[in-house]
Amino acid sequence: MAPAVIDEAVWGARVPSISALERELTRLRRAASAHAKEQGHSVARAAVLNLVVYAEREMHARRAAASTSRLSDRHPSRAIVILGQRKREGVDVAIQLHCHVPRPDETAQICYEQILARVSGDADERVASVVIPLLVPDLPVFLWWTGTPPHDTRKFDDLIALADRLIVDSADFARPDQTLAVIAELARTHGGRKFGVTDLNWTRLTPWRELVAAFFDVDAWRPCLDNIVGVRVGFGVDMDGRDIHPSQALLLIGWLASRLGWKPVDALAPSEAGGLLFKMANAGGAPIVIRVRPRFERGIEPGDTSGVRLQAKHGADLYEFVLKRDPDPRHVTATVLVNGETRSRRVLPLPEPGIEELLREELSIVGSDHVFEDALHALVALA
Amino acid sequence: MSATAPIAANPLREGLRLQRVPKPATLVLFGGSGDLAHRKLLPALYNLALQRLLPASFAVVGAARSPVSDEAFRAELHDAVATHSRTKPINEEVWSAFAQNIHFVATADDAGYDQLARTLAQVDAEAGTNGNRLFYLATPPQAYAPIIRAIGKHGLRGPGWSRIVVEKPFGRDLASAMELTSIVHEVFREDEVFRIDHYLGKETVQNILVLRFANGIFEPVWNRQYVDHVQITVAESLGVEERADYYDHAGAMRDIVQNHLLQLMALVAMEPPAAFDDRAVRDEKVKVLRALRPISDREVAARTVRGQYATGFIEGTEVPGYHKELAVAPDSQTETFVALRCFVDNWRWEGTPFYLRTGKRLPKRSTEIAIRFRVAPHRIFNRDSSEGVDANELVIRIQPDEGISLTFGAKVPVQGFRIRTVNMDFVYGASFMLDAPDSYETLIVDALRGDATLFTRRDEVEQQWTFIDPILDAWRRGVPALAPYPAGSWGPPEADTLIERDGRQWRRP
Repeated sequence: MAPAVIDEAVWGARVPSISALERELTRLRRAASAHAKEQGHSVARAAVLNLVVYAEREMHARRAAASTSRLSDRHPSRAIVILGQRKREGVDVAIQLHCHVPRPDETAQICYEQILARVSGDADERVASVVIPLLVPDLPVFLWWTGTPPHDTRKFDDLIALADRLIVDSADFARPDQTLAVIAELARTHGGRKFGVTDLNWTRLTPWRELVAAFFDVDAWRPCLDNIVGVRVGFGVDMDGRDIHPSQALLLIGWLASRLGWKPVDALAPSEAGGLLFKMANAGGAPIVIRVRPRFERGIEPGDTSGVRLQAKHGADLYEFVLKRDPDPRHVTATVLVNGETRSRRVLPLPEPGIEELLREELSIVGSDHVFEDALHALVALA
Repeated sequence: MSATAPIAANPLREGLRLQRVPKPATLVLFGGSGDLAHRKLLPALYNLALQRLLPASFAVVGAARSPVSDEAFRAELHDAVATHSRTKPINEEVWSAFAQNIHFVATADDAGYDQLARTLAQVDAEAGTNGNRLFYLATPPQAYAPIIRAIGKHGLRGPGWSRIVVEKPFGRDLASAMELTSIVHEVFREDEVFRIDHYLGKETVQNILVLRFANGIFEPVWNRQYVDHVQITVAESLGVEERADYYDHAGAMRDIVQNHLLQLMALVAMEPPAAFDDRAVRDEKVKVLRALRPISDREVAARTVRGQYATGFIEGTEVPGYHKELAVAPDSQTETFVALRCFVDNWRWEGTPFYLRTGKRLPKRSTEIAIRFRVAPHRIFNRDSSEGVDANELVIRIQPDEGISLTFGAKVPVQGFRIRTVNMDFVYGASFMLDAPDSYETLIVDALRGDATLFTRRDEVEQQWTFIDPILDAWRRGVPALAPYPAGSWGPPEADTLIERDGRQWRRP
């Protein structure tokens, strides 16, 4: 149950209307600038985008607000956090103005705005009317939906219509298998206008995809890509054996399938302890055995990829391309084996990006990522 | 491009996130134990490895005259990277995996080069570098010709692509630059030659092109009708220090003007290229250099200033004059300051002066381009209220504190009209507060990918020298005289006279 009273020390004072909010922002900006002047600094107001965050719990809203604050160094934005709470009537708007804390050697400060709109009760059709006047004109609108996006609700549809880009995290979905299909459908239906969808689980995969792709830049290994016979992807689970959906691992497989023209042969079938075992067919019709396996390893977040192994027949030889997280989880070892014998081995840093770094990457992309959408559609076709 | 067997493209590379990583290759580093390799190149390669921007198969083969073992070479580079890397401390796991593919070959004689050929073939087979080779000349310039010829003679070009990166200075006048080009062409085609000008690898320099050509509002006023003049400044507060030996033979003209300053000017003055690729961009730049009005013997005294710093103060510390620097001849006539008044004789810029200046031991380090616009054609506010209002100025700051600012007049909030100049400032580090990659990282990746947009083409270098040579010639004959300036000042008074004669003033960067 959300607290009835918002912590004004965090979110700023409550204001009665949008115009009062704008006045309050002006006042706070002037105060910040006066304060900076006393310190011998100057403050620049900057915004490169509008970031609309939707959260259903105050804790999530706070966490999101903290993330957007830290993002202000690279993506100063007007952040509008919508806290959607059931069971209360009316719309509350509270304001907060933050100034990025300068490092001692800096003279410039960035001043940006964070607005909390607390939406209580059955107010679905009102949400957009609060957001629209708050958007900074001419700048792109990113909608970051924390939790599971509710399809077929008025507020979701309205906000999607305002947004240039939707950011979700399938690691937080209650039922990823269902919701990913909804997201895929969204990407398809809104494909006509300038609109893109992204999943932070996809962003987490970028280093893995980079490393997989790099194997096949080597001329000698490139032919193996057309002769893959087996794929194994491991994903992290926690000790209590909670049911973790391998949506990240499946996105990786969806990506391989969409880029290499693999087709589903049979539907996803559960195998040992929450894993999956199924077959696909490559562009020539030859079978590929795919295994998705849960792994319990220290330092790996539930759902995160722990390793990838691609097996390929080339002539009489069996090639294996292996990526494995090292015990020290910040590294990955990329190995190529031919008939079990190591041909190449390199160690690379594998960053473990927090939510801010993931958002940072996504906020720098305006428009759609068709490779992601293809991977998503391939994944949905599997289910 | 190169004559590799038809290997299908890698379909996994598609999409906007995975395109920067170059194809497998070997980097052959001549001058592998030198200062440039230690301070810039190896730290850049290591940081690329950290960012996973190096190909899956990548090897470095260092070559120099005196032999060292692979292990000793790796240890030496490890220490260099640990000292000079922009990210610290060094990540030992990444370094040791990277270092496995570092080799060293001594190339003092023919046998050494034959050994280098064998090592390269072996690396190709073992590391899977596809026979692609990037030769990097990080040696003193006098070693360029013998190395290039040895590459040809010993068949060091691989079965994949081969490219060569040549460091500055590319020649010391037109004749020597042309000679060097013809030697390079004995072994490499022009499209395989990457003449490095590290200024072009800087983010903000590339941003000049983005500012001009990705925005619709600047280009319509980017011409003689609206622009009063342009000032480009490359100021350093340092003296010559340990580079005195090189510098005393080069001088500011060869060190900065011929390459960096003329490149910046070309980027400001060029016509919009039809595409952002190496051919279109460089075609346009070379057109500007060709349109540069030559400075004749008659004009050299009025259009150029050369200065040399004397004793003075930098940041409160007394510093010695140029003559007293180590390894500088006491009667050296080498210039440490240059100011030029240039014109680009084309439709766009006819009659618009470009003032260029560079110097050592100036009050602060600053590189910037200032576009000064004409004043409003008709004054509707009375003189008293608009006193002190300047013409609009667009300033592109390249270093430090990268950014762009535009000044304009605004009304002071009082009753009646008082107008003053205000500054609208875009600070790069504030809107995008990230570590910009080092220019060598950008340029090495570009060379590995075969993108020559940010490298200097033969005709550009030749045009640059064509412009510079007659000035240096006159200077050698003592026209105009070398003007001393105290360290810590903005150059000799002659530089002020140069611009004040036109009724203008230098900016204070």
